[in-house]
Amino acid sequence: MSSLRSKTVKEMSDLLDEYEIKHGPVVDSTRSLYERKLKEAMAKGKKAKPSPDQTYYREEEEVTYEYRTPDRSDGAGDSGSYIRSRPACSEREFKHETSYSNYSRPKPEYGGKEFSDESHMYDLPPTSKSPYLKSTPGPPKEAPKALPSSRLVPLWVQFVFFVAVAVFLYLVFSSMETNEPIKGIE
Amino acid sequence: MSSTSQKHKDFVAEPMGEKPVNALAGIGEVLGKRLEEKSFDKAYVVLGQFLVLKKDEELFRDWLKDTCSANTKQQDGEITTEKATHFN
Repeated sequence: MSSLRSKTVKEMSDLLDEYEIKHGPVVDSTRSLYERKLKEAMAKGKKAKPSPDQTYYREEEEVTYEYRTPDRSDGAGDSGSYIRSRPACSEREFKHETSYSNYSRPKPEYGGKEFSDESHMYDLPPTSKSPYLKSTPGPPKEAPKALPSSRLVPLWVQFVFFVAVAVFLYLVFSSMETNEPIKGIE
Repeated sequence: MSSTSQKHKDFVAEPMGEKPVNALAGIGEVLGKRLEEKSFDKAYVVLGQFLVLKKDEELFRDWLKDTCSANTKQQDGEITTEKATHFN
């Protein structure tokens, strides 16, 4: 591994993205900070490569997959665990695993709420179904279902309230037509 | 010597202009000197650094630690001041 000092700005930026280190422009005043961060990240043993712990949305996961495959031909270290994770899960399940950890840290792209609802729904049938069954029908079905539950006030409550208001108004109007006041309304 | 919160109030009470780094909440003499040695001699330069780090608190903390060995409390004071300055 060549020294970080000799890397170009573009290379530094790419490395920082690989290790999922949030960063700004690599300028003089930030350079040493990013070098230090990269050194620490590398010392952790390339943990930043595809791993279920990372909070990634599906699209990003797919992108980085394609991005990393050519790189991986050179890398030695974690290629063992990398290979293990790839055939062991279908891509869906991989994304499913990542979406588990997703709900704790929402990003603006998808809207964190949707994912948190998905994860709640995942929690319900964990014992009854096998993991594979869980993952495959999971994402497409849950997405449309998640929408109604994203309301603050449940839909049925809104309907009940509406009906209550309508009944109340009816009573008021009918009491105006007849001269006798209805009980309870003075 | 004013407390951190008093310093903060004084700092955000008006545009920072050419105020030195020492005027930042959490930055006392020692830290101020370290920053000045690295050519961060004015408050607005530190603000600039905060912005270059994309206003990310975590990164800014790391940078402060890296540059002048600031402890957590000092970092907190810094960040509060920077955010208040920028978003006001």
